[in-house]
Amino acid sequence: MKGIEIMESGANNSDIIQGTLSMVRMPGAVISPETAEIAQIVRLVLAGDTSSFEYIISRYERRVMNIAMRILGCHDDAHDAAQEVFLRVFRYLHRLDLEKPIEPWLMRMTVNVCRDLGRKKLQHPSTSLENAPSESMTTSSTDNPYVGLAEEQQRQMLWKALACLSENERVAIVLRDVEGLSTAEVAAILESPEVTVRSRISRGRLKLKEIVDRMSKGPMNGGAL
Amino acid sequence: MSCVFSRELLALHAENDLPESEGRIVARHLLECPECEGFLDRLSQRQSQLKLLRLEAIPQSTLTRMRRGVLSQIENSPQSLGWSVRIERTLWLGFRRHAFVLSSLAVVVVSATLFAQMRQTARPDTTAATKQTAVFADANTLIRPAGYRDWISVGSSMRSNIPDAHSLANASSGNSHNIYIDRAAYRMFSLTGKFPEGAVLILETSGAAGKQPIALQASVKDSRFDGGWGFFNFTGADGTIKDKAESLGGKSSCRTCHEERGKSDHVFTQFHPALKTAT
Repeated sequence: MKGIEIMESGANNSDIIQGTLSMVRMPGAVISPETAEIAQIVRLVLAGDTSSFEYIISRYERRVMNIAMRILGCHDDAHDAAQEVFLRVFRYLHRLDLEKPIEPWLMRMTVNVCRDLGRKKLQHPSTSLENAPSESMTTSSTDNPYVGLAEEQQRQMLWKALACLSENERVAIVLRDVEGLSTAEVAAILESPEVTVRSRISRGRLKLKEIVDRMSKGPMNGGAL
Repeated sequence: MSCVFSRELLALHAENDLPESEGRIVARHLLECPECEGFLDRLSQRQSQLKLLRLEAIPQSTLTRMRRGVLSQIENSPQSLGWSVRIERTLWLGFRRHAFVLSSLAVVVVSATLFAQMRQTARPDTTAATKQTAVFADANTLIRPAGYRDWISVGSSMRSNIPDAHSLANASSGNSHNIYIDRAAYRMFSLTGKFPEGAVLILETSGAAGKQPIALQASVKDSRFDGGWGFFNFTGADGTIKDKAESLGGKSSCRTCHEERGKSDHVFTQFHPALKTAT
């Protein structure tokens, strides 16, 4: 059975989820200490201190890579996407509004890079999101939330079902249901009206349920799930 | 399922994504519809399973590899940024406000457009003018220019003092002279005070009654001819206007008079207000 690596830093699940939820703040809020700190780093980078950019990467690499992984479903593609995201961030760092949090901008860029990469993959198919991440994504651990064969199958089915959604639905579901952002935050990241995002989310959830239900009733599963 | 209640609303209600008013409608319906309640339970179960994906994490080694890749690429940042990004960054950091950057770009675009337009105006394509206006059937035979009445009209005998040689038309007889110059030549003359190679002037004599000309003559600036100008008479012996005309050779009366009395390069600019004011 394949395990799942929880954070090496030792943070527990609630920390991760809490961290996830606090990443995106709505504009108009008072500048947070984190935003001020990032603004300081950005000024240093723009002044020519490129080594300071490593701090920005190390701070947000896990989040960027996770989102890319969940949208693209392929470990190698997620790696390439994350690299491209940070290169773009470095290139266009001067466009960042230093009075606003960096996360929505970073996530918007991540989604855009993933979309670009997804389109290229459609033109030159080699790997597929339908291949659920395995060894490279996870390690043996007793903390694996999918302990047992049935759970692992469940996990595989969810990845495959995600792959069956349209790009817009998948991005909306990943940001809302997997990343745990609110619909307003997702709408802000995608620069789409909230009603559009809700529509994509509802369609995505229904499709996802239908696909997983159908897979669960397949001959291999004997309708056990 | 037999109940026709919106599945989309139920899907949003599963994670409290509905506005309050719609959420209340769904909640009321669920109280009286066990079928939808069951559907929502199953959907919520799938949602819980989906959320477990967020617990999967990327190995640190992969993150480190990615980070090293990025850092190695930005080490020589000034070269890797590209000139357009460097210009943009300079402007951005210089002004720090988008409005100023946009204004600067607008000024640059407008200036470039005006500069290009000025260059275009200052150097008209005289070759094109020659091709459009003076068309020769052979070395000495000019084809009557079509549409010369759309050219620039530089004067009329009714208001000017045309030399005696053109006296077959005058105000008392009811005839009139109209002189036209092609547009490209006029533009060039306006700018430089000189007629460009290929410039064509037409002298049309109209009778009092008819709209058709009773005489048509042309002069073409062409270095192949004596004095740099060729003179052509399209008026036939029977009074009709011919389609072609041969150059009036040697010291024709046209050439002699124009050489002696034309104020500017064989042309009677002194009689034509448009040419006088152009310079």
